[in-house]
Amino acid sequence: MAKDRSQSSDYTGPLRRLLLAVLVLVLAAVFLLWRIDSPRVERFRAQITDRLVPNLDWAMAPVTGTINLLRDYQSYQRLADQNRELRSELRQMQAWKEAALQLEQENARLLDLNNVRLDPRLTFITGVVLADSGSPFRQSVLLNVGARDGLVDGWATMDGIGLVGRISGVAKNTARVILLTDASSRIPAIIQPSGQRAIVAGDNTAAPPVDFLENPDLVRPGDRVISSGDGGVFPAGLLIGQVAADPGGRLRVRLAADYERLEFLRVLRHHGNEQVSDTAQVITDSGPLPAGQDNAETDDQP
Amino acid sequence: MNDLSQTRLWLMRAAFLFLALVILFFHLLPLTTTPSRWTGPDLLLAFACAWSLRRPEYVPALALALAFLMADLLLQRPPGLWALLALMGCENLKSRGRNLRDSSFAVEWLTVGIVIIMVMVANRLLLAVALVEVPHLPLVLSELGMTLLFYPLVVLITHGLMRVRKTAPGDLDAHGQRA
Repeated sequence: MAKDRSQSSDYTGPLRRLLLAVLVLVLAAVFLLWRIDSPRVERFRAQITDRLVPNLDWAMAPVTGTINLLRDYQSYQRLADQNRELRSELRQMQAWKEAALQLEQENARLLDLNNVRLDPRLTFITGVVLADSGSPFRQSVLLNVGARDGLVDGWATMDGIGLVGRISGVAKNTARVILLTDASSRIPAIIQPSGQRAIVAGDNTAAPPVDFLENPDLVRPGDRVISSGDGGVFPAGLLIGQVAADPGGRLRVRLAADYERLEFLRVLRHHGNEQVSDTAQVITDSGPLPAGQDNAETDDQP
Repeated sequence: MNDLSQTRLWLMRAAFLFLALVILFFHLLPLTTTPSRWTGPDLLLAFACAWSLRRPEYVPALALALAFLMADLLLQRPPGLWALLALMGCENLKSRGRNLRDSSFAVEWLTVGIVIIMVMVANRLLLAVALVEVPHLPLVLSELGMTLLFYPLVVLITHGLMRVRKTAPGDLDAHGQRA
């Protein structure tokens, strides 16, 4: 017996080592391939996720529900406090509601006066959040709508109120949304009312900082941050949040979307911004003047 | 007897993959969509270490590689690198298993701790060399600390609940022979 065993381990030892070497090489090759040709491997990753995660949904939904129920139960213990807070908030809200109603009427009147038609192409698809990124280092969620529903990489995603993120990675049945809080998220934004352009750059914290601000003095905490549509990827004018200053004095965005509970998300269909590519031209009797001529004359004058 | 232990061997191999799937399942639950300041332990690595030290035949290299690669793909990590390092760490532990069999738990904890730290340091270094964005350091440190803290619990579960124990003298091994 003992001899038999030693022989078998003699036999399997090198084989096992060979298998290990092959595995190590394969894994290293996968990493190198990812480093060289990231989009291809990311597509592969999206397909794997697409196969696996929707199949787990039947189990995920009840477990998530139960855990949320338990969490809610903890919050019931602070019910009295919450009730008092809610009541005081409600009083403030009623004042706001009155203001909002008046503004709504005024807005409707003005729209009517100007004969405005809102862009009918800005429609949306609503998806349910299937899973989160699974790791604390990445901030993303997986939606149950995908290429099947006509989703395209780069489309904006909102909850009912504010921008949540952008689609990155579409498989057949699922799509991944990179949240604004992810360290790789960069969204061109405009800050109202000063009209300053900036970039909202995620850094894995709850409130992403505002980068590349031209003149920080013009921006005050409480200003609204909306998407600017620069770069043509995103539709313009989506609410992102409000400016807030952190204790270090750095300007950050307090996001309007409720990141605590992301359950249903809207994906906005976006067909590209209209680009004005022509420069201004003067039409004369002998046809339009070339655009450069006008500039050349003005250059000569000083 | 031989048939029975063969069945058990394959059952336990399947059980490890199932365990990996369960851990990933709980990772993927959409519970935390806000960034957090700390992280939970890397349970998959901890369980893989505990099983590798106790019953290397239950966690063959192929199963380990498969589980780690799956975790890489599903958890949005650079695919392959973490799997490669964790696999090498576990294989290193397997080769030490025989020496560690008679020593106390503290020694095991220390050994596993060193291996996990090596894996994390190597991961960070190689990511930096490949010019990939490295994860936020405090988060990585908290993951490391939590993994080390939770390791005794993982061993307790492995030993008590899953009945994956070190081979004692006189036990039958996977091939129905005396160890």
